[in-house]
Amino acid sequence: MVEFKDVSVTYSSGVDALEHIDLRINDGDFAFIVGSNGAGKSTLIKLLLKEIDATSGTVLVNGYNLKKIRRSKVSKLRRTIGVVFQDFRLIPTMTVYENIAFVLRVIDAPKKYIKTRVPYVLELVGLSDKMKAYPEQLSGGEQQRVALARALVNDPKLIIADEPTGNIDPELSYDIVELLKGINECGTTILMVTHEHNLVRYFGGRVINLESGSITFDEMVGGSDENK
Amino acid sequence: MRISSAGYLVKQGVKGVWKNRMMSFASFCIMLVSLMLVGISVLAGLNISRIISGIEEKNEMVVILRAEVTQADIDKLYVDISNISNVGEVTFYSKNDAWADMLADMTEQEREFMEYGNGDVPLPDTFRVKINDLEIMDITSSQIKALNMVESIQSPETFADALISVRNIAALITSAVVFTLIVICMVIISNTTRTSVHTRRKEINIMKYVGATNSFIRIPFFIEGMLIGILAAVGALILTRFAYLELYKVINDQLNGLQMMGSKPIYPFSSISMYVTIAYLAAGTIIGALGTTISAGKYLKV
Repeated sequence: MVEFKDVSVTYSSGVDALEHIDLRINDGDFAFIVGSNGAGKSTLIKLLLKEIDATSGTVLVNGYNLKKIRRSKVSKLRRTIGVVFQDFRLIPTMTVYENIAFVLRVIDAPKKYIKTRVPYVLELVGLSDKMKAYPEQLSGGEQQRVALARALVNDPKLIIADEPTGNIDPELSYDIVELLKGINECGTTILMVTHEHNLVRYFGGRVINLESGSITFDEMVGGSDENK
Repeated sequence: MRISSAGYLVKQGVKGVWKNRMMSFASFCIMLVSLMLVGISVLAGLNISRIISGIEEKNEMVVILRAEVTQADIDKLYVDISNISNVGEVTFYSKNDAWADMLADMTEQEREFMEYGNGDVPLPDTFRVKINDLEIMDITSSQIKALNMVESIQSPETFADALISVRNIAALITSAVVFTLIVICMVIISNTTRTSVHTRRKEINIMKYVGATNSFIRIPFFIEGMLIGILAAVGALILTRFAYLELYKVINDQLNGLQMMGSKPIYPFSSISMYVTIAYLAAGTIIGALGTTISAGKYLKV
């Protein structure tokens, strides 16, 4: 569960990135966060990952109050969140398998579990045959699917996808969102930041619109895929 | 932490050396050259000090006793001189021994000429006194001169002063060179490790986002830095040994003249190899491991 209670963020430069945000995303929800550049989407994600602190207000993520959480516990918070970035952020010196297994090693998972879990998630994203490949040997779409596999391998409660379709071919964008939808159907909360309105219109669901640091729209929107 | 996880982190550290081989090689070279420069400077300093201390040890003063001195006076003087704190070894050199040695060095004719007399020995009884600290030689000399039955003292004070100046200047120069080299090497090593880690800042960033703790990220960097440091130390040791052995032959030949003045030969490498090995390995390991770990720490604040 994610909850923002009267959250504001003002950067040291004096820019008000978020102003009095009240937002609740329940477990199992799928929400799109849309908005133009500078609307505050990235700040929202940075807050969720405890990369920055709110200037005022309270942020609750998966049972952690981010205002009160100690530095040493931030890694534990992040283990409950899977993140998919626009630029994939895969470790270039690790193979696909190692990139995904790394998340499980961080949580000190048993070797046996890693050996079964990693191939399983790679199968889910359709990349079983790329296990030994290095990120640079993959296409943008494949890299994003590896990032997705990495995000879900430790079964997080929440997956944050920050413009996950921004660096891949438009036709592959739909596959990525389909995958996210599939993961959501298994109970994982998904928060997808995007500025691709076509995708939002196509899939529909909860849409939160940010403008100049404030929420201007937060409603359920019907998707065109439902009419297919 | 599971044993398998610890093993994984160590393995990642070892793999990291090869995976980032360009930067590893750069760090290796910089550390090797730095260790060698500092090591050779320290060895040069130690050897200069050894050469000078040899000459210093040979330096002695001659205490000339009065002609009327008795055996009882000689015994008392021996004790009194030995009790002076700056005095090392005291040897009595009787006038008869001195006369016999002198005659032994003469030709037959000279000896016959010298022995033509009433049998009196024209030389005085003396003490040969080795002193510990040349810098206070004049004070020691005054203390001995004040003793009863001491006629005069022959002490090479001018030479001692010159020797002290040489020793002090040599110590100052070698300390300054070593200190400067250490500072320069620290700056270069720190910049190299920082650059090496900087190229991997994204990697560290990603690890932080997936929930890795700081220690989980640091351990492989620590192992990696340590390994590079050890390799650099081994390389520096091999090169230093080679350079030292070559210089040893040349320098010891050149020091023959000084050795007549009491100078000691420079240390043979076998006698210092253990200390050099320990110093190189310790410095390489510590600088490598800490340099990389501290540099990595800069990118952990995400």
